[in-house]
Amino acid sequence: MLIENIKLAFNAMRGSKMRTVLSLLGIVIGVASVVAILTIGDSASKSITDSIAVGGLDMVTIFPSSGQRSSGIFDEAFGDMLRSDVDGVGAVLPQNSSNARIRNGKESVSASVSGVLSTYGSTLNLEYAEGEFFSAIDNINRRQVVVLGSGIAADLFPGQEAVGQYVSLFRTQAKSYLVVGVLESKDATFSLSYDRTVFIPYNTYSQRFIRTTSVGSYVVKIAEGYETIEVSDRITEYLDNIVGTDGYSIFSPASLAEMAEQITSTFSSFLALIAAISLLVGGIGIMNIMLVSVAERTKEIGVRKALGASPNVIRGQFLVEALTLTLLGGVLGIGLGSLLSLVVTNMLDWSLHLSYASFILAMGFSMFVGIFFGWYPAMKASRLDPIEALNYE
Amino acid sequence: MADSVIRLEDVSRYYLMGEFVVKALDGVSVDITRGEFTAIMGPSGSGKSTMMNLIGCLDTPTSGYIDIDGENTAGLNEAELAYIRNRKVGFIFQQFNLLGKLSALDNVITPLLYAGVSVRERKSRAIHALERVGLADRMDHRPNELSGGQKQRVAIARALVNNPTILLADEPTGALDSRTGGQIMELFEELNSEGRTVVLVTHDRDLGMRCHRQIHLRDGKVEA
Ligand SMILES: Nc1ncnc2c1ncn2[C@@H]1O[C@H](COP(=O)(O)OP(=O)(O)OP(=O)(O)O)[C@@H](O)[C@H]1O
Ligand SMILES: [Mg+2]
Repeated sequence: MLIENIKLAFNAMRGSKMRTVLSLLGIVIGVASVVAILTIGDSASKSITDSIAVGGLDMVTIFPSSGQRSSGIFDEAFGDMLRSDVDGVGAVLPQNSSNARIRNGKESVSASVSGVLSTYGSTLNLEYAEGEFFSAIDNINRRQVVVLGSGIAADLFPGQEAVGQYVSLFRTQAKSYLVVGVLESKDATFSLSYDRTVFIPYNTYSQRFIRTTSVGSYVVKIAEGYETIEVSDRITEYLDNIVGTDGYSIFSPASLAEMAEQITSTFSSFLALIAAISLLVGGIGIMNIMLVSVAERTKEIGVRKALGASPNVIRGQFLVEALTLTLLGGVLGIGLGSLLSLVVTNMLDWSLHLSYASFILAMGFSMFVGIFFGWYPAMKASRLDPIEALNYE
Repeated sequence: MADSVIRLEDVSRYYLMGEFVVKALDGVSVDITRGEFTAIMGPSGSGKSTMMNLIGCLDTPTSGYIDIDGENTAGLNEAELAYIRNRKVGFIFQQFNLLGKLSALDNVITPLLYAGVSVRERKSRAIHALERVGLADRMDHRPNELSGGQKQRVAIARALVNNPTILLADEPTGALDSRTGGQIMELFEELNSEGRTVVLVTHDRDLGMRCHRQIHLRDGKVEA
């Protein structure tokens, strides 16, 4: 009986294709927005967490404002002070960066040069394709050694070992640096493209590469067992008291993640509203077409009743028809929503995470709309007087 | 009172038309026994269709009692009346009333759907019914691909398929030429000779006289 009713529903749709498509539009748009909301939301949060996980969720970076550099508290002792004054602060790594050209023979590329302590590599769990990070001795002795990002190494030493070779770093003049390590390729994070960076000892940077007494930024590792956001809040409070809010800026992946989540949830509730409205409109569209269908088929209903169809059977027939319509709308909506998600995630360079939960939700919605808005027309059909219906022209 | 299949006891059906009461049927008592072939005759508006609809449980009387196959229909709900229409009665209309979007076969299958017959049995029974009216070779045709006489044969197959006790035909030849009408009449005679109770409304005096019994209606009453 169900199968026959579904066949009848498709029969009815075939008879008025354009009308069917138009009446389905609301459902299709509603379902498509539900699917798109959830899929884009999922993809967004996955992509953001992925990129944060690369950088490490247990890091914050402090950038002294230009006015505060080389004066006040932001010197090399800042790390010790922060560690002793703020609970939950682990390693504090001063860092200086600038752009420079780097050359091997005829090959020359531009790179970001970072002056960091020897502990930087182990603190950030860097992995090496060749060699290793430079040592504390290299730093103390201001040796001209360099660790290459994998992209830079590939450009300068295609198919060769780089460790043991020399490269020239250009600033005011070219200086020769011994390659001691090459990093494994690593995804870029919000603040750093590892593959296009080269690392030299901190002291080499500030005393030989560029003469400077200031520190560009501090990477702060959160001590084990502490919440990144809580510690980051404490650091903020601490620094606000000493240098004021304008004296520095702080960059925390955890707070970024929270912000991203907030944005996606605002975005989601906005789209959910659109979805709710279009499903309501879609439902009314379904009710309308079902009322038209019942009116047009009054005679058919009369004949079916004469042949022994009970009111329940007639109601079932029209409910199945409404359900078939809305489920068809649901399937089209899922297709459209997925397509929309694909376009959006592609544009934003996120990976697409299809939300299967949203498919189930969408089908559930469609069924609900079909039953809710199909009920009244189906009821109306089932209550028709057999003789009046039969004599209807 | 041997084996009464249709029994009307003082049955009236009134319609309220604004201020007026139209007495479509006015105190009719009729008894039809199993296997009888009855013609209901009378001028237009005399209440023939009203009576057929009441017998077929498409309508309920304003007053009086109707027994179908020994069962009192008074007080039955819509679903119970539908059950009687499905199992006990086969309706044949002047305008055929086939479902236009369905093939002849699917039209004949429809009552079996409502009877809850299994898929496989449905088809074989429907084909059998179409064979009975000589239309097995047209079972895939839609109604609009059939002649009037063929349509009426499909309608008769549809009425027969659930093996009802009673066949009710309201002017079944009214939309057909006399030759085709004659053939349809022969089919009814055959079906009756197989033991089925047939009630036929007709304006045609000759067809009426071919039935065992004639009931004449006038102004909603049975004429003596
Ligand atoms: N739904 C209705 N509302 C009001 N009056 C009705 C209704 N149905 C039938 N009637 C009236 O009841 C009377 C009997 O009608 P019925 O259809 O039974 O006549 P009939 O004998 O079948 O006529 P015909 O030979 O023209 O088919 C008529 O006067 C008709 O106008
Ligand atoms: Mg009539």
